[in-house]
Amino acid sequence: MLESLELTVNGDRHALDAPVGRSLAEVLRDDLGLTGTKIACYEGHCGACTVLLDGVPALSCITLVHAVGGRGVTTIEGLREHPLVDAFVREDALQCGFCTPGQIVSASALLAANPRPTREEIGHAMAGNLCRCGAYRNIEAAIASVGGGR
Amino acid sequence: MELLRPRTIAEATAALRDGAVALAGGTEVVPLLRDGPLLAARLVPLAGVVPRGVDGRRATPEAEQSHEVGAAAATAAPRPVLRVGAGTTLAELEVDPEIPAALREACRLAASPQLRSMGTLGGNLLQATRCWYWRLHSGCWLQGGDRCHAREGEHREHAFFGNGRCASAHPSDPAAALLALGATLRTDRRELPLSELYRLPRDDDRSTTTLAADELLLELEVPSPDASVYLKAMDRKRFAFALVGVAAARSGGEVRIALAGAAPIPWLLAAPDALDEATPLPGTSYKVEVARTLVDRALEAVAP
Ligand SMILES: Cc1cc2nc3c(=O)[nH]c(=O)nc-3n(C[C@H](O)[C@H](O)[C@H](O)COP(=O)(O)OP(=O)(O)OC[C@H]3O[C@@H](n4cnc5c(N)ncnc54)[C@H](O)[C@@H]3O)c2cc1C
Ligand code: SF4
Ligand code: FES
Ligand code: FES
Repeated sequence: MLESLELTVNGDRHALDAPVGRSLAEVLRDDLGLTGTKIACYEGHCGACTVLLDGVPALSCITLVHAVGGRGVTTIEGLREHPLVDAFVREDALQCGFCTPGQIVSASALLAANPRPTREEIGHAMAGNLCRCGAYRNIEAAIASVGGGR
Repeated sequence: MELLRPRTIAEATAALRDGAVALAGGTEVVPLLRDGPLLAARLVPLAGVVPRGVDGRRATPEAEQSHEVGAAAATAAPRPVLRVGAGTTLAELEVDPEIPAALREACRLAASPQLRSMGTLGGNLLQATRCWYWRLHSGCWLQGGDRCHAREGEHREHAFFGNGRCASAHPSDPAAALLALGATLRTDRRELPLSELYRLPRDDDRSTTTLAADELLLELEVPSPDASVYLKAMDRKRFAFALVGVAAARSGGEVRIALAGAAPIPWLLAAPDALDEATPLPGTSYKVEVARTLVDRALEAVAP
C-alpha cells in the first residue's frame, strides 16, 4: 500500500510516496539519489547503511521509511565538510571504500558525544561497522587523530 | 502491507487479535519479514503505546521480599525495584547507572551500537532463534516439520540444556540477566515472573513463549540485588551472539544464575553443579566447559 510521508534529509524536506515496508536505505538511494549510503548485508549485520536519526546512528536497511517519523536523517552526503573525511584519506583508512560512509557516519556521532574518545571507547562505538578489507587499525587511527586534534 | 497507527494499548491489542504483527524497533521484524519466516499484512507500531524509560524507583515492602528469610529479612532495608518500560532501548539501559550491573552489562555486550539504539528490551526478550535452519526457513521441527536439522547438521552454536526436540540456543543476553535478577513482567493482562514467559517447545505446541498472540509486554520490575554480573563468551571480542552468557545476582545469601546461549529458552541454573546434568550435542560439549568457567568467575564476582 502506498502511503505518503515527509522526510527531512541533511536539512532538506522531501514529500514522497512509498509502499509500506520500504526501507529508508532504498528511499535514500533509489528515490532521492543519495547513493553514498551503501547496502551490503541488507539485514542489520554490517553497518554499511548507517545514517543518523536525530544524531543517533541507525541502520537504514532495516528501518522502515514510514517509521522515521519526525526524526531528521543525516547521510554521508551531509557530512562532506566533516574533518573525519580528510582524516580517513590521510590515515589510509580504506581499501575498497564500501564500508567508509557508514564508518564516518558512526564516527561522527561518537565524536559529537565524546570529542576525545579513548581507543576502548572507539572500539565500543564502532563495533557495528564491519570492514571486509580489514582496515580497522587505520579507521581507529583516523578517528583518534580527529579526536586528539580538537 | 499496511501500517496501523494505534494510540492506545487497547487499539494495539485489538489489531494484534486481527493478525497484525507488533513492530517495536523492527531489528528482528524487518529482516524476518523480508526473508520469509514472518508473514504480515499489517504492522502495529508500538512506539508511543508501550512504556519507554526507567522510572517509578520505589521501595518494595519487606513482606514482598520473599527471597530473604529469617533474621536478615527482619533487618534488611527495603530494596528498590526499578520499573523498566518494554519500549526502552538497550542503548538507554546500557548507560543508566541505576540499572543493576548484570542487566547493564548484558545490554552493553549485546548486538552493535546501531542495533542497541534501535532495539527495545521487549523486542529483545521476544527475539526468535538465530538457528540458521530456522532463519533460512527450512521447515524444521520448530517450524512445524518433523526433523531438527541442526541435530545432524551444523550445531556448534546450539544448546546443551532443554534440547530434546529443538536444539536451538536462546540468544538474548538481557533475558539471562533479568532471569538471574528475578525480574517480574507486566503485560496488558497479567503479571508473571519472567521465567514464566518462556516454555520449552513441545510436540503439540512449538511456541517458546507463553505470550498470547494479542498480548503486549508493557513493563519489567527489576529488583536491585546486592551484587550482579554478566559474562559473555563470544567468537570475537565485540558484536557477536553469546556462545555462552552467564548472569549471576546475589541478594542477601541467595545467588541466582541464568544462562544465555544454552537452551531454546533463557535458562535458570538451579545450582552451579546442575551443569553436570547438561545434555550437550557432539558440537556443543565445549559449551559446558565454557559455562563452568564463566559460572565460577561470576560466583567469584558477586561473592560478598
Ligand atoms: C545482527 C544482530 C545481532 C544481534 N546480537 C544480539 C546479541 O548479541 N545479544 C542479544 O541479546 N540480542 C542480539 N540481537 C537481537 C536484538 O537485540 C533484537 O533484535 C532487538 O533487541 C529486538 O528489539 P526490537 O525493538 O527491534 O524488536 P522488533 O524487531 O520490533 O520485535 C521483535 C519481536 O518482538 C515482538 N514485540 C516487540 N515488542 C513487543 C511488545 N512490547 N509486546 C509484544 N510483542 C513485542 C515483535 O512483534 C517481534 O515478534 C541482535 C540482532 C541482530 C539483528
Ligand atoms: S535447532 Fe530448533 S530451530 Fe534449529 S533446526 Fe532444530 S528445531 Fe529447527
Ligand atoms: S546493509 Fe544495513 S547493516 Fe548491512
Ligand atoms: S574498506 Fe573495504 S570494506 Fe572497509
